Amino acid sequence: MKPSQRFKKRYVSFRLAVGGAAPSREAARQIVHEHFLSFFGESGISGLAFKLISYDEKTGAGMVRCERSRVDETIFCMACFTKWKGGAGRMEPVSTGGSVKRTEME
Amino acid sequence: MIDIVLASGLDAPKGLSLIDGNKERRLKTSSPASVKADARMRGVLLYSPPYEIEEGACVELARNGGALVFSLSDVLREGGFRRSIIISKMRLALAACRRAGCSSVAFTLAKRQEEVRTGRELAAFMAVLGMTDAERKHAKEIAETLAKKEGAG
Repeated sequence: MKPSQRFKKRYVSFRLAVGGAAPSREAARQIVHEHFLSFFGESGISGLAFKLISYDEKTGAGMVRCERSRVDETIFCMACFTKWKGGAGRMEPVSTGGSVKRTEME
Repeated sequence: MIDIVLASGLDAPKGLSLIDGNKERRLKTSSPASVKADARMRGVLLYSPPYEIEEGACVELARNGGALVFSLSDVLREGGFRRSIIISKMRLALAACRRAGCSSVAFTLAKRQEEVRTGRELAAFMAVLGMTDAERKHAKEIAETLAKKEGAG
């Protein structure tokens, strides 16, 4: 495969809070997956090359992977997260980068 | 970056300045019945919540140096299928604006602290609607002229 045909990815870090507190690892996983699936649909998710890379339940900080050309859609999807099971929620995008290390540093 | 909100005393996120839209004379909330008449006002920022704007109104807006306002809060307040419908209406309104050659801007128009979003999220909203880089830059310039005017006044 030519380098130009390689899958180009971006990492977007975020901070998640539901009801003012960071949810547990399992709850966060469910929240992120269900919200992205609801926003993009099954077909959209497959084209997005979405993956939850990491999540820290102490701080609520996490990171997702997406396709390079669809960073704006990913950030907008995060911005659209407003509630979860009756409680107010917020998924705030923090930084974007081409590698996990660089995204974590920002 | 500048954002207009519809409440006073909201905390601004880092890197974003908030302007109270209730005190901003250029911002005009318009019903579908009065949208064409309101578009004739000079330099108006026309906010028409159903986003069912005709091309004739966009032509009037372009002629009088106005801009159509898109609100991120309108998207946040809806959910599921209704959210997709409002985004679709916004995209159609943006296409009408582009054909008529009138400007478009995006603000959060937040009424509550939970509706306030960062500048990056606002930029992503504009990109998702289909604004080009040049259109986004122009939208930022329009917002900055409002901030300068407020600072002067």
